[in-house]
Amino acid sequence: MSELPVPALLAWATLVGLDLVSVLQGLFNRPLVAGAVTGAILGDPEAGIRIGAALELFELDVLPVGASRYPDYGAATVAAVVFGAHQPWVVALGPAVLLGLVLAHLGSWSIVMHRRVTAWALRRTTSALDRGERGAAVRVHLAGLLADVVRSGVLAIVGIGLAIQLGGPARLDLGTARVLTLVVIGGGFVAVIGGALRRAGTLRRITWFAGGMAMGVLALALR
Amino acid sequence: MTARVRALLRLAALQASWTYERMQGIGIAVAMEPLLQPLDNAPERGRAARARSVQYFNAHPFLAGAAVGALAKAELDQEPGERILRLRTALSGPLGALGDQLFWAGIVPATMGLALAAMALGGGLRALALCVAGYNLVRVAVTAWGLNIGLQHGIKVAHAISESWLPRSAPRAGDVAAVIVGAAVPLVAAWLLRGAGQPLRATVLVVAGAAALGAITIRRPLSAPTLTLGAAALTLLWRWSTA
Repeated sequence: MSELPVPALLAWATLVGLDLVSVLQGLFNRPLVAGAVTGAILGDPEAGIRIGAALELFELDVLPVGASRYPDYGAATVAAVVFGAHQPWVVALGPAVLLGLVLAHLGSWSIVMHRRVTAWALRRTTSALDRGERGAAVRVHLAGLLADVVRSGVLAIVGIGLAIQLGGPARLDLGTARVLTLVVIGGGFVAVIGGALRRAGTLRRITWFAGGMAMGVLALALR
Repeated sequence: MTARVRALLRLAALQASWTYERMQGIGIAVAMEPLLQPLDNAPERGRAARARSVQYFNAHPFLAGAAVGALAKAELDQEPGERILRLRTALSGPLGALGDQLFWAGIVPATMGLALAAMALGGGLRALALCVAGYNLVRVAVTAWGLNIGLQHGIKVAHAISESWLPRSAPRAGDVAAVIVGAAVPLVAAWLLRGAGQPLRATVLVVAGAAALGAITIRRPLSAPTLTLGAAALTLLWRWSTA
């Protein structure tokens, strides 16, 4: 743990935090992407991809629509990969994903805080905005952006700090770690299948989903 | 750099100042600012346009370019202020609904399902990079298309959008996503469980059990993360009590 490239991890976790809402929304915040890049930074891309994939199953159930409150899986995934990298992955996956789930829900609270800070900046500028003063909107916008940099940075520090402090899942016995791994994989599939059924809305869409599953099973059988 | 390119770049950070009061209103104003530069010669008109541009607005962020382009053109065409505000209100709902269908329920899960399946089949980082690059190309192209159609049609943008590819494609994107995510489920289950030392039988059991639980929790009495954390806590209690 002492040779961790901490500045690179903090920078990456902050960037993925910004990608959630404020800048681009280019999939960099998705657990699979955030995890794979973190794994590459740590020299263990396989751990990053597997932990990211397991957390991605939960994220697939999230619709980041408008004013809804949703978890921030970006920095949470980075922390989970820091926690689980360079470990036998059957031991690491369960505890790492559980850490990621807890941090992602802490992240959802930070989004509400960010919106409140931006609203405070907005209220201070309301009269200038409503007068059509040049530059007033840009000032509020930059305040919101800066607040999100701080939000993402704090989440990155808390998540990565906690992962380093906990020191990896090696303290668990093999049997417990294996059961936890099965629990998180099962939970991930409850999320992705439940989310797909909920979002489908119509029998036609559920049929498309079932057809896709049949194609997946066929691909497995042919391998 | 042209005003159009500057507006497009600013659209990439549209939601940085999102609030419950005005939602994307401030972001829209910031993206419109370069396009309103011709109004610098008419200070009164410019001030009124800027004051209108910061009002409440909410749509899908990737389609908001259509509103930015249309509102800017309406201001430059010196449409009455009331009419511009009505256009702003009228665009909000449809651009939100179409964008949510196209991206949040369609392209995003389809891309991630494809990426997950690629990882399960051993595609590695290169396949993941291709998925992310392809998605971002589509995302930028759709935003640029929206900005252009808005600037081209101004106050008549709603009709132009209704005649375009968008209303036909948005619902189909969800069907494609359903197939791809469905195909990814058994592939990812087998990949993760085989790696965890579980036989194929476990894959079938986990997917079938998850499908049943997913169907039971469809109305969300408990979310999947809550269920998972609860099951993990019970596991730890059981292991420690029997140790």
